[in-house]
Amino acid sequence: MASTVIGAGITIEGEVTCDDDVLVQGTIRGKLTSRDAVTVESGAVVEADVTSGPLSVAGAITGNISSSDRVDLQTGAKVVGNVKATRITIADGAQFKGNVDMDV
Amino acid sequence: MAQARTRNTASGEASHIGAGTRVRGRVTGDGDVVIGGQVEGDVVVRGDVTIEDGARCTSNVEGHAVTVAGELSGDVAASGAVMIGATAKLRGNVQGSQISMEDGASFAGRIECDFELPEGMGDAHAAPARRR
Repeated sequence: MASTVIGAGITIEGEVTCDDDVLVQGTIRGKLTSRDAVTVESGAVVEADVTSGPLSVAGAITGNISSSDRVDLQTGAKVVGNVKATRITIADGAQFKGNVDMDV
Repeated sequence: MAQARTRNTASGEASHIGAGTRVRGRVTGDGDVVIGGQVEGDVVVRGDVTIEDGARCTSNVEGHAVTVAGELSGDVAASGAVMIGATAKLRGNVQGSQISMEDGASFAGRIECDFELPEGMGDAHAAPARRR
């Protein structure tokens, strides 16, 4: 289990900063920063700029994403915003609108 | 407590703000919340709130059962019981259906707990409490 879990019924309005991995099942509005992995599960809503290590998305993100590692947009993911990462995968069925910056 | 558990299974995992996590802002919702990190901002949930030993909160806390074992600056308003653990450092007013405090807890504030006095026993001689 992730060290920080934002459960399905929970909404955080503000800034979340973590040293460890984060699992989002609920809603975050504001800013999400983690030094480790972030997982946005199906049904989760993140209206925030996300700075993280590896990021896995099956839910919805509106905001810019900056990852020091990889970003995986899984089937069912809805992402509106720019993505900056070293590696990116977009699965069949993921919806994505924005720029991709892979530092090439 | 049984109710809280049903709620958890309905909404998946309980929310947990880990020890390395800081939240600046409001935390709201239906489920239970366990705080092990730092929270600056109000916590208003319908489930249970637990502030673990080592956690630091500057928040007003509203919830069902509220357990404080860490540091909390702010008021607690619980619809259920409030438990102030031995490791708690609490500064603020506490309101709940039942309130318990363990030996070793440090607490500065007011405890307000609604209950019926036995018949014929007024609270006129009680400490001059502010009436709400």
